[in-house]
Amino acid sequence: MSAMLEIKNYTKSYGSGKKAADNVSLTVEAGDIFGFIGHNGAGKSTTIRAVVGVLDFTEGDIFIDGHSVKTEPIECKKITAYIPDNPDLYENLTGIQYLNFIADVFEIGAAEREELIRKYADAFEITDALGDLISSYSHGMKQKVAIISALIHSPKLLVLDEPFVGLDPKAAFVLKELMHEMCGKGTAIFFSTHVLDVAEKLCNKVAIIKQGRIIDVGTMEELTEGHSLEEAFLEADNEEK
Amino acid sequence: MKKNNILLKTLLMSTSSLNIFRYTTDKKKKGKIVGAFFGLLALYAMLMFYFIAACVGYGKIGIIDSVPVLCSVSISMLAFFFTIFKTNGYLFNFREYDMLMSLPFEAKTVAACKFLYMYVKSLPWYQSISLSMMIGYGIYAKPSPVTYILWIVLSLFLPIIPMLVASFLGFIIARISAGFRKTNIVQTILTVALVLFAFSIRFIMEDLFRNNKVEEVLTDMSGVTDNMAGYYLPAKWFANAITKSGISDALLLVGLSVILFTAVFVIVGRSYRNINSSLKNHAASKNYSMTSQKTKSVLNSIAFKELKRMTGSTAYMVNGGMGQILCTIAGILVLIVGFDNAVTMITQNAPFDHAIIRPAIPFIIYFFIGMVATTACSPSLEGKSYWIIKSLPLSMKTVYRGKMLFNMYATVPFMTFGILCLCISSKTPFVESLLYIILGIVLCAFSTAWGCVCGVKHLKLDWENEIEVIKQSSAVVIYMFPNMIRTMLFAAGAVILGRVMDNRLIALIFIVFESALAMLCYARVMALAKKNK
Repeated sequence: MSAMLEIKNYTKSYGSGKKAADNVSLTVEAGDIFGFIGHNGAGKSTTIRAVVGVLDFTEGDIFIDGHSVKTEPIECKKITAYIPDNPDLYENLTGIQYLNFIADVFEIGAAEREELIRKYADAFEITDALGDLISSYSHGMKQKVAIISALIHSPKLLVLDEPFVGLDPKAAFVLKELMHEMCGKGTAIFFSTHVLDVAEKLCNKVAIIKQGRIIDVGTMEELTEGHSLEEAFLEADNEEK
Repeated sequence: MKKNNILLKTLLMSTSSLNIFRYTTDKKKKGKIVGAFFGLLALYAMLMFYFIAACVGYGKIGIIDSVPVLCSVSISMLAFFFTIFKTNGYLFNFREYDMLMSLPFEAKTVAACKFLYMYVKSLPWYQSISLSMMIGYGIYAKPSPVTYILWIVLSLFLPIIPMLVASFLGFIIARISAGFRKTNIVQTILTVALVLFAFSIRFIMEDLFRNNKVEEVLTDMSGVTDNMAGYYLPAKWFANAITKSGISDALLLVGLSVILFTAVFVIVGRSYRNINSSLKNHAASKNYSMTSQKTKSVLNSIAFKELKRMTGSTAYMVNGGMGQILCTIAGILVLIVGFDNAVTMITQNAPFDHAIIRPAIPFIIYFFIGMVATTACSPSLEGKSYWIIKSLPLSMKTVYRGKMLFNMYATVPFMTFGILCLCISSKTPFVESLLYIILGIVLCAFSTAWGCVCGVKHLKLDWENEIEVIKQSSAVVIYMFPNMIRTMLFAAGAVILGRVMDNRLIALIFIVFESALAMLCYARVMALAKKNK
């Protein structure tokens, strides 16, 4: 399998010298569902935002399908989709206007976008609401629109920050199914979560980050060694204290 | 280019009232949009009337040829100042930064589209000035039809260069601030310094050009603008293109605008991500240890929250605090140069007894302090955090009282200081000074309560950018314009009354009148709060 996401010695420092991420290295291969877990403020979102080209970083490099985020950001973004934990969508557009905006940016043809929007909107049971202003949506509905917008351009790398927050149980199930379907087709998925049960069932690889440093990384089997992910996480966390 | 169009179109649509009107099912919201639309139309009409009237004045005294220069200088100056106040918030540190930057747009595309968005949104203001002056010019100069076409086309380019200059200065400030730990504070200080510098340059230039001669006002103004255009070449190119059909001048204006636009966004694009990373992310020091905590009253607690909201945003600080800074500087300057010298400078040696201005002192200071009230925008600035105050066990009356208290804290000390400086400098007797200070405080109370009426009545929580609320919201516009006109009328009224009445009596009359107005507005806020629950 080829490396779809390669983070090499990524370091993010602030003006004060404080490091939000310190020499982070990991590899996500095509077809992987890679879970990124850690405490609040451990550096998960900072790392994710650097991966998707939103945040500048100090040292190291990040490669997506062989392209450097630093030197070829547009090439990277063309094949990446990002779903933030709290999506800031354009509130005064309707759901369908927003999805069309994303489809226009990724130059998706009319027939294809119609088919994909219908497929995903039906799956998330949001088709009826697509003509309403996003400002009238609940948090979960906004999350669903953000997910659909990420899926309609069939990315090679899907990056999600706490994707299950705010989703109803049915939508969470649909998202998990779609993640399986996508990784079956070779898409790499990299996502952060606090829900260890979900990570344990969904992921084949996991990295644990603490105070900006990766303290454990490997396949689910390597990390858990017959225990639950929760136990493995707590053990790794205690060893680092 | 195609992606630029997609992004620009979406940015415009995402803040378009027409789009909300088409798709919202909320009838109240639709009504507000229609109301705001007609309100804006009325403002544009007022602005156009003013500029057409000014042109008629120019036409009558035979200096109609100065109108194109006046038009270009006015638009350029407005564009420059408006942009300085808006750059932070529109170009940098905007809400949907993460979403846009994760899409396959180049950084320079995002920055350029944000600039164009800012340009298109302010264009109606510049065009209402330009078109009205074109009409005025047309009436007296009777130019050829080509001139009208040239005027319309070139006036579209007029604001671009000053906006680019202001944006670039904003970029340099953001770039410098990004290197500091307290990014926001450094950015605020530098922006305020830039605005003060720009203001002082403007006055120094005017002073130089006036040559200390008291001339007929319009002729003098015309001389000032003509001279300024000599230094600011794009204004001269516009005027030459109109009055002398100078095609090369027209091409120079268009060409320079396009070249500068391209150059600025190539440079800005290079460090755009770096700047926004610094502005949007703050390191957590994680070194806090629990110490004894101080308690505050509920109202003070809300006021403190407002203070932190204000100091946390450069755009809010610069827009909301500029009056206070200018008032302090003006007060100190008047103390240094003396009241008589200050009046002489401002009125260009006009022969009159300067003491007659004394009754207007509170209104003069209010002109600095009262043009912006935090209460006009703070209810809307709650935005997505509105749930916090709504879910607290507080009535909205208490919440608004807290917001009003903050505005009083933010204005009364500066108002008092400004009036004191002017009173000391003008050797105003003690009782009269005291009455002026009381009137100043009452004016602050009125400004606070009137601002809150506008802020609550025109509450807008679903904004995309805080600048929309701080600078362009219906609440702020409705607060500011009547307040401005009212202050000018009252200042003039106070001076006129001063010729037939004792100054102390005039102050007392205004204290009673303004107190009544402030109380009326306060009662209205409480009624609105009861409605909002």
